[in-house]
Amino acid sequence: MEAMPIQTESFKLGFIGPGKLAESIARGVVQSGFLPPQRISTAIHSNPNRGIAFQSLGITVHTNNNDVVDASDVIIFSVKPQVVKNVVLQLRPLLSKKKLLVSIAAGVKLKDLEEWAGHGRFIRVMPNTPSAVGMAASVMSLGGSATEQDGELVGKLFGSVGKIWKADEKMFDAVTGLSGSGPAYIYLAIEALADGGVAAGLPRELALGLASQTVLGAASMAVQSGKHPGQLKDDVTSPGGTTIAGIHELEKNGFRGTLMNAVVAAAKRSQELSKT
Amino acid sequence: MVAVQPTHTDSFKLGFIGAGKMAESIARGVVQSGVLPPERISTAIHSNPDRGLGFKSLGITVYDHNDDVVEASDVIIFSVKPQVVKNVVLQLKPLMSTNKLLVSIAAGVKLKDLEEWAGHGRFIRVMPNTPSAVGMAASVMSLGGSATEQDGELVGKLFGSVGKFWKADEKLFDPVTGLSGSGPAYIYLAIEALADGGVAAGLPRDLALGLASQTVLGAASMAVQSGKHPGQLKDDVTSPGGTTITGIHELEKNGFRGTLINAVVAAANRSQELSKI
Repeated sequence: MEAMPIQTESFKLGFIGPGKLAESIARGVVQSGFLPPQRISTAIHSNPNRGIAFQSLGITVHTNNNDVVDASDVIIFSVKPQVVKNVVLQLRPLLSKKKLLVSIAAGVKLKDLEEWAGHGRFIRVMPNTPSAVGMAASVMSLGGSATEQDGELVGKLFGSVGKIWKADEKMFDAVTGLSGSGPAYIYLAIEALADGGVAAGLPRELALGLASQTVLGAASMAVQSGKHPGQLKDDVTSPGGTTIAGIHELEKNGFRGTLMNAVVAAAKRSQELSKT
Repeated sequence: MVAVQPTHTDSFKLGFIGAGKMAESIARGVVQSGVLPPERISTAIHSNPDRGLGFKSLGITVYDHNDDVVEASDVIIFSVKPQVVKNVVLQLKPLMSTNKLLVSIAAGVKLKDLEEWAGHGRFIRVMPNTPSAVGMAASVMSLGGSATEQDGELVGKLFGSVGKFWKADEKLFDPVTGLSGSGPAYIYLAIEALADGGVAAGLPRDLALGLASQTVLGAASMAVQSGKHPGQLKDDVTSPGGTTITGIHELEKNGFRGTLINAVVAAANRSQELSKI
């Protein structure tokens, strides 16, 4: 039997697991105008503070996951990876094929999700922490019975907190190593740039402010210009200038190779963990 | 001595001497943010008529002579290349009394020289950076001898329309160059390397590069908006035995942070060397 298309103008969204990532997505969805808060719900069991965050957005907060599932056409499982199996199994009787299921649990595979839910209308998404500021880099993979239209809908949901790409699930370990873990590498870079500024004589506050804004500006140039990063670097390295002197230092110590090592190692670790 | 007349914030006119890319970015930012309507902005084109198109399309007046720009303006930004700024200022000196606020964005050109060439101290020096082009500049300004607080605020509004700005002592401009001036290039290298890492781990190039750029953008946005220390932000996302701390470990093994410190210091030193030539 074919999956019934979700009605984009009237569908209701539910979050199972009212965590920070769920809150970021909910906020993004509401602020972008894609869904009014009345069509969104979640449930709070143990921590009432989490309820306040969602309620302040105008979102309905139930006391039971069952109520969320009953009220929703699209359900995002945003509980921790260790508990998602039990949660899906518990809710299984209520998860008909009419409902589109989404999981953002890191490392949890579609074939397992589909087995626990009893059907293949699941979409797996790997977002990353900058969802909190609407600048996520997310990747999704469609389960066995998820339709193109399902993919487009989920694309709009996650598009409200940043950018989203589609990819084969077998790439998710590599995605984890890059966009999942990548922000941390950049926090190290920002700290180091600030330290460099201080070493060169700047007061700490100015150095840190400049460091963060410089990285923001460079990334904005990369995202908006559509130019190859090598070309962007060429554009700003004038002969015998300060910039090429700085670049030379980076190349001397294999700066680029070190970052490659980080992505590869994190991807490998993701693969190891998925086998645990 | 005549006291400096304050520039009227609601009616002042802005002129660019040197119609280059940086000038265009600033002009665009100023117009799009509503700080100034285009009718109150002008520049002059001498050699390259194509440069005029960018400004004209914003509604900005384009003259044939710098003299006309100076006469029409209360605030003048010198956006010519550092090698020619001396001659340009000297040429326009007779037209630039203290009732005009002068601004220079010429890298490495000191206030004491600018003031000498102009014949007065109502100069402000600004070190912007290339992401002015996308409204995400990191700019630092230093006030000359006769520039007032209010002058500083006005220039702050202008450069605030293309990003963030800070005030600092001019003696800090070499390290500023090494950090925010040259810094974007270090990040372009990082983006390329992150993409290469993704490809090494199995991603197709397009996806790897898209994710790399967006990941850096997201992380920087978190840093700027959260107000948290970058070390705290890193702590927040490194779960026990997870993928992220594994990646971090690789970076620490090869002195990733030290390498970036080296780059900033080397670029700052080079800036200092160049300013002595």
